[in-house]
Amino acid sequence: MTAPAGLYVHIPFCSAICPYCDFAVTVGRPEKRRAYVAALRQEMALAQAAMSFSDTFDTVYFGGGTPSILETDELAEILESLRETFSFNDDTRIYLEANPEDVTPASCDAWQRLGINTLSLGVQSFDDDELHFLGRRHSGAEARQAVSVALAGNFDVVSVDLIYALPGRSAADWRSNLETVVELSPQHLSCYTLEIHERTTFGKEHARGTLAPLADDTQGDLLVDTHRFLRDAGLPGYEVSNFARAPEHRSRHNMKYWRHVPYLGLGVGAHSFDGQRRFWNERSLLRYSRALAANELPRAGEEQLTLEDRLLETLMLGLRTYDGLDVEQIQDDYGCDLLKTGGERLEALIRQGVLVLDGGRIKPTIEGLALADGMAAALAP
Amino acid sequence: MDKIRNFCIIAHIDHGKSTLADRLIQHCGAVDDREFRDQILDSMDIERERGITIKSNTITLPYKAKDGETYELNLIDTPGHVDFSHEVRRSLMSCEGALLIVDASQGVEAQTVANLYLALEYDLEIIPVINKIDLPSADPERVREEIDADLGLDPFEAVECSAKKGIGIEDVLEAVVTKLPPPEGDPEAPTQALIFDAQYDIYRGVVMLCRVKQGVLKPKQQLRLMHTEKEYQIEELGLLRLERVEQKALAAGSVGYVIAGVKSVRDITIGDTVTDAANPAPEPLPGYQEAKPVVFSSVYPMSTDAYQDLTKALDKLAINDAALTYEKDSSAALGFGFRCGFLGLLHLEVVQERLEREYGLALLLSAPSVSYNVFLKSGEKISIDNPAYYPDPTEIEGSEEPYIKASVMIPERYVGPVMELIRDRRGVNTTFNYLAVGRVEVKSEMPLAEVLFDFYDRMKSVTQGYGSFDYELDDYRESRLAKVDILVNGERVDALSQLTHEERARIRAMHYCEKLAETIPRQQFKIAIQGVIGGKVIARTTINAYRKDVTAKCYGGDITRKRKLIEKQKEGKKKMKIVGNVEIPQSAFVAVLKTDAGK
Repeated sequence: MTAPAGLYVHIPFCSAICPYCDFAVTVGRPEKRRAYVAALRQEMALAQAAMSFSDTFDTVYFGGGTPSILETDELAEILESLRETFSFNDDTRIYLEANPEDVTPASCDAWQRLGINTLSLGVQSFDDDELHFLGRRHSGAEARQAVSVALAGNFDVVSVDLIYALPGRSAADWRSNLETVVELSPQHLSCYTLEIHERTTFGKEHARGTLAPLADDTQGDLLVDTHRFLRDAGLPGYEVSNFARAPEHRSRHNMKYWRHVPYLGLGVGAHSFDGQRRFWNERSLLRYSRALAANELPRAGEEQLTLEDRLLETLMLGLRTYDGLDVEQIQDDYGCDLLKTGGERLEALIRQGVLVLDGGRIKPTIEGLALADGMAAALAP
Repeated sequence: MDKIRNFCIIAHIDHGKSTLADRLIQHCGAVDDREFRDQILDSMDIERERGITIKSNTITLPYKAKDGETYELNLIDTPGHVDFSHEVRRSLMSCEGALLIVDASQGVEAQTVANLYLALEYDLEIIPVINKIDLPSADPERVREEIDADLGLDPFEAVECSAKKGIGIEDVLEAVVTKLPPPEGDPEAPTQALIFDAQYDIYRGVVMLCRVKQGVLKPKQQLRLMHTEKEYQIEELGLLRLERVEQKALAAGSVGYVIAGVKSVRDITIGDTVTDAANPAPEPLPGYQEAKPVVFSSVYPMSTDAYQDLTKALDKLAINDAALTYEKDSSAALGFGFRCGFLGLLHLEVVQERLEREYGLALLLSAPSVSYNVFLKSGEKISIDNPAYYPDPTEIEGSEEPYIKASVMIPERYVGPVMELIRDRRGVNTTFNYLAVGRVEVKSEMPLAEVLFDFYDRMKSVTQGYGSFDYELDDYRESRLAKVDILVNGERVDALSQLTHEERARIRAMHYCEKLAETIPRQQFKIAIQGVIGGKVIARTTINAYRKDVTAKCYGGDITRKRKLIEKQKEGKKKMKIVGNVEIPQSAFVAVLKTDAGK
């Protein structure tokens, strides 16, 4: 692969843990953060030495957790080490996930000076009740304020994250969130249906029967409405959960995941992919730190992708995007003629209006995006 | 030979046949008390559980009679259900007499009469036995009247007993000795022995149960089976006393077992005549009637790789069950299986249960069908029991279906609902008799096909369990037959096709459509399920498409996890049957077909 790779840095610290979150997170004191930055720098050195793929990067993504919890000098230290250790293209995009409460004109100014050009705001909702339900520490008004402040800064892209399909909330509640975000007009928007994961607080409530997710059909309808509404509002979708004002505002970093472009993940629980192999770090901060203290890469596991695995991933990821699947490319890469192997099922899906054939590509319609996983299973040979 | 008595016990189901057999065996001391268990002749689990006898069984009882002589009493136990009347027939052919049991409180039942007629067909001497005289509701005098009026037997010959309480057992044994004739036959004549049953012993091969009519059978003798024209050498023979007791010979009049190195069931025919190859009888014994299956169903293994196991199991089962017929069948949806013929629904259930229990197979059975006569415009008449072979309707001139004479015994208060049920199932010429105060026998002529489905259950339900149902086959009558196909997204599911009367087609089709709609999981596209006759849609349901099947986030760490979930989804699909573009799980076939097989 000649495409530049992506670099992900996981910052696991949060001021509190949200009841829906299943990422590697921890409530960290300042001295823990210091130690973590040191560990990251050590991992960079080891990872660089072990790198098995194209050594040019054009994205750096600080995800979490809450990367915006880091002090400016800590971020600066990480970025400096990255620049010393790896080689980056001139137009490298640097993303930072930020909580609204951390967004001020001063912090935006500081981040920009560090070279961060995309700010991704964990707004989740503009409604106080919903924010309370989600265990967030900001209000709807503070969220609006944070988006405005970020947009007033000089970032190339300000992205807003929202969560929808919340239990007990109506389509109208969600619509008013969408109207607010459209009015604020960020360049990029991610809208995620609420997913309930086993090990989280919500997961436990679900198991006890005190929390019930919305019915799948209702979620599907909301997803379709969301894509239609945002398309008409000038924020067209390009993936199941992602919307951008213009193609240049799309997430260059995330698109690497969907196109099998290599990426290197640093930090606890981070995943990497070198084009053939996927490997991942320890999720526990303790184990992660111990491995590095012993001067070893903190690998927790890895898998070699077979051609079959990659084909299935290609289908699964491709069908999540508006671009869909390149029939000829898949034939070249995997020797699989989807028009043949898909057979009657492909025809039925096209008749059903969830897939279209368009210029040598199999593309999901908006309704089809809501079925991407099942369709991948259906079309896989 | 005059010290031998060969007899059987015939009775309506539940009138105490097995219990009486148990008492006779105990009284004669043929089994140690510590070895004894109830229903001792019923060796199959399923017989003991259901309290029914399916296989014939035989035991030789030594009895010291009041005249001071010791007699050899051969008790041939027979099944009680109408489905197994072929087994009854063979047993009857081995006997000179029969004990006909009548329940002291319930009196003469439909099956009692049917069994009596069977016994009379074979010229058996009949001793009526009035059982259960210990019950408070027992009315032996009334029963004697019924024996006279309904059975035409001498009521004064009847012996009263209570098998349960052990009352009158000696009287029964004395009656066997004094009233039943000893067997006739000439030990010097060319050998003729009737194979009336066979068992399979994994160490010895086929064990034939024989009644020697003429001549003698001895070890090392070369025997010939007269119908199949095969020859074997006798390895061992003897009497049955629950276990085999080896003897030096079996002479005319005896009932016993013969082991002759027969390896496979396919090599013998039950009802065949055994003769001496060196000195053969001029002709086989007469009167053998082959059991004809009347109910047909295709049997498939749940998992297609169990087909070989099913083949072996059927081959083995068939050794003890001459009435079971089976031939290869295949379905696009369910793979390879067998089209099986049964004597009735109980027989079908018993075979299914034995295959599942004794051979550990998981099975799927197609909707049971009767055998229809179809008259073609070409003038040809064909028998059709498998929807797969139903001709093009344009070639059909007319068709006939088998009718039964049904008899339902019920307390008077249920006459209304039972009449309605019978009318609903196309019963005609329905009449009812008051048998005794408060007890009614409803008789009707009904299509056999109508009782194959849930008639028995429905009857039990509308009579709150008080009704009993019996039937005998009658004749073929004109019918408006239709073949109902089930289409899933336009593709025919062959295993679900069925033949039915036009009047019932819509209800049947709707039932299938609804069951499928409940059990086929939703898919990414809409699924139309239709019941059709030819091109005409008579029932339809729809399974709406999924509207969401996607995770919200799919970034670095999510990809592997998500792929594994999809792989699982794909694996699940492999276990489903694909019809057109629709995946149908096995459970859908089970749900649809299960509801039919029940009684």
